[in-house]
Amino acid sequence: MKKKGKFGDFGGQYVNEVLMPILIELEAAFEKHYPTAEFQAKLNGLLRDYAGRPTSLYYARNFSELVGSKVYLKREDLVCGGSHKLNNTLGQALLTKEMGKTRLITETAAGQHGLATAMAGNVCQLETEVFMGVKDIKRQASNVKRIKLLGAKVTPVDIGMGVLKDAVSDTLRKWTTCSMTTHYLMGSTVGPHPFPEIVATFQSVIGKEIKKQILEKEGRLPDTIVACGSGGSNALGAFRPFIKEKDVRLIFVEGGGESLESDNNAAAFQIGKPGILHGALMQVLQDENGQIKPSRTRAAGLNYPGRGPEISFLGNSGRVKTGYAFDSQVFEAVKIMSKAEGLIPALETAHAIAYMVNHKEEFDKNELVVLNFSGRGDKDLETIMRYFHES
Amino acid sequence: MNLEKTFEELKNKREGAHMPHVYLGDPHKEFSLKLIQTLVENGADILEFGIPFSDPTADGPTFQAVCERALENGVTPSKCIQGIKNLRDRGVENPIVVTTYYNIPYVMGVGTFMNRIREVGAQAVIIPNVPVEEADVLLAEGKRSSIHVIFQIAPTTTEDRLKKITDFASGFLYVINVEGVTGARESLDDSTLKLVQRVRRHTDMPLMAGFGISNKKQASNVVAAGADGAIAGSCYAKVYEKNLENPEETLPQIAQLVGQIKQGCIEGYRRR
Repeated sequence: MKKKGKFGDFGGQYVNEVLMPILIELEAAFEKHYPTAEFQAKLNGLLRDYAGRPTSLYYARNFSELVGSKVYLKREDLVCGGSHKLNNTLGQALLTKEMGKTRLITETAAGQHGLATAMAGNVCQLETEVFMGVKDIKRQASNVKRIKLLGAKVTPVDIGMGVLKDAVSDTLRKWTTCSMTTHYLMGSTVGPHPFPEIVATFQSVIGKEIKKQILEKEGRLPDTIVACGSGGSNALGAFRPFIKEKDVRLIFVEGGGESLESDNNAAAFQIGKPGILHGALMQVLQDENGQIKPSRTRAAGLNYPGRGPEISFLGNSGRVKTGYAFDSQVFEAVKIMSKAEGLIPALETAHAIAYMVNHKEEFDKNELVVLNFSGRGDKDLETIMRYFHES
Repeated sequence: MNLEKTFEELKNKREGAHMPHVYLGDPHKEFSLKLIQTLVENGADILEFGIPFSDPTADGPTFQAVCERALENGVTPSKCIQGIKNLRDRGVENPIVVTTYYNIPYVMGVGTFMNRIREVGAQAVIIPNVPVEEADVLLAEGKRSSIHVIFQIAPTTTEDRLKKITDFASGFLYVINVEGVTGARESLDDSTLKLVQRVRRHTDMPLMAGFGISNKKQASNVVAAGADGAIAGSCYAKVYEKNLENPEETLPQIAQLVGQIKQGCIEGYRRR
């Protein structure tokens, strides 16, 4: 029988004893509250009236012509806050209330999850603290300002390289000192069980809407769904309702950074191997001795050395095809999408776009593709402008 | 000497055990070996021998910096295992408990890892990110290699889990004093002492109390409360990290500190 929290060998609960009782409590709370009509009504109400769901499924005619297939964009950039992250934070903030905890802590890289946590924290009147690597604070300055304006505390993390991996480590440490009163609002489908399950469940609203909308518009399921990712939350959100639909091709695009040579990318499926980090067995960048290697990509939100347990399993089992896009292709993709459809994608999202642009041969002429447009690019404007100005 | 004998002898002498924790390779291997020799010559009964990991999530800022420096200086799991052999060759006979994070044995192969540390003379492992739920492989390989798998007990551990953990544990139990990570602290709460007493009601197995112990008084208090010994680690690193250019110069100070903490373990036992 499948063990709870395991996806093949991936996943598990590799945490110290201090956190185990808290994870057991969290799992029980999720199983108790999530299915109730009351919880569903609260969550769906917030998703509709606050977040702005359902998001539209937009037929991108010009982009379709460019890549030579029929492409719909699932417009998660329209979710309030500018990305899919709020789907999960609203759910977990409601769960935090149900557990009687009063504070949220989390970490963020691109700032989208930190912002979405601060928003959900305010909606549910929970105090929020966001850990963020010093390097990310610098490159995602506009989101840091938003988070602070919302009244959340931003705690800089300067250990290691000052990026997401280090922020996750520090948030885990912080959580072991305050887990009785505080919920760690995990932002992606990573970490120890039950986090990957909880986050994927809350995010799967994306895929459920895709299914309904594409049937309405096209009368059939898509041939292919493309999504970017590292931990996997937007991808799994889109993929989950389609995993059992064997005819639907699922493509996951990770950060190729500058090159696939070591230490220059975030492409754990390409050059990583299974290992244990931050509470779970997952596909992770590491050296031959098992020391975790830092990842590198211009997209802060993809800059994590590990792939979450479920996407690790789906990628390794072959159900999900894994690909990557290099930074230079990603910046070009931002330009292409902006010109074609008037939509500025986040650098993370632009990985999925770049993959389609650079692998036209993998998509047939009449192929029906859904590209998960996970976030908008406002937060990256300075980085994007600087890139094109300098090059 | 093995762990059981060590605890038995200390009991006969009416002393608590002291187990210092050292990560190998900071700032270099030779200093670590000298540090360990200083510790065992001046009061340590058991040695917690750390193999550095890149992301030590159960460790506080002091040991994070220690791991980072050690890895930058090129220490590897194999060099660490060789370090245990060096200690044995230099006549260190105290029981050695190897501490690291699970990815290190996982990547080497848990069975291979256990065999290799056994061959060089270690008696037990502490893998803080493997709770009893994930310990099947570790326990099976530990049994095969005659290596004790040490489990931790925390203030958050429920009575149910306490029972489950004591069923699987061997060697001793590691009692985490505080909700948190390793690191020297000024004082320990009463809740710490309560936890030691709570665990004691469940098992006769030796209990080693750790996290936040940095002086004689704290060591004395946890032993007086019923622990069989005290673990301290960051407090030693805090001494030598002030002089990383010539860390050997700090060894007399460290010798004095370990002597005091051991003295606390003795006095605590006799205050019971």
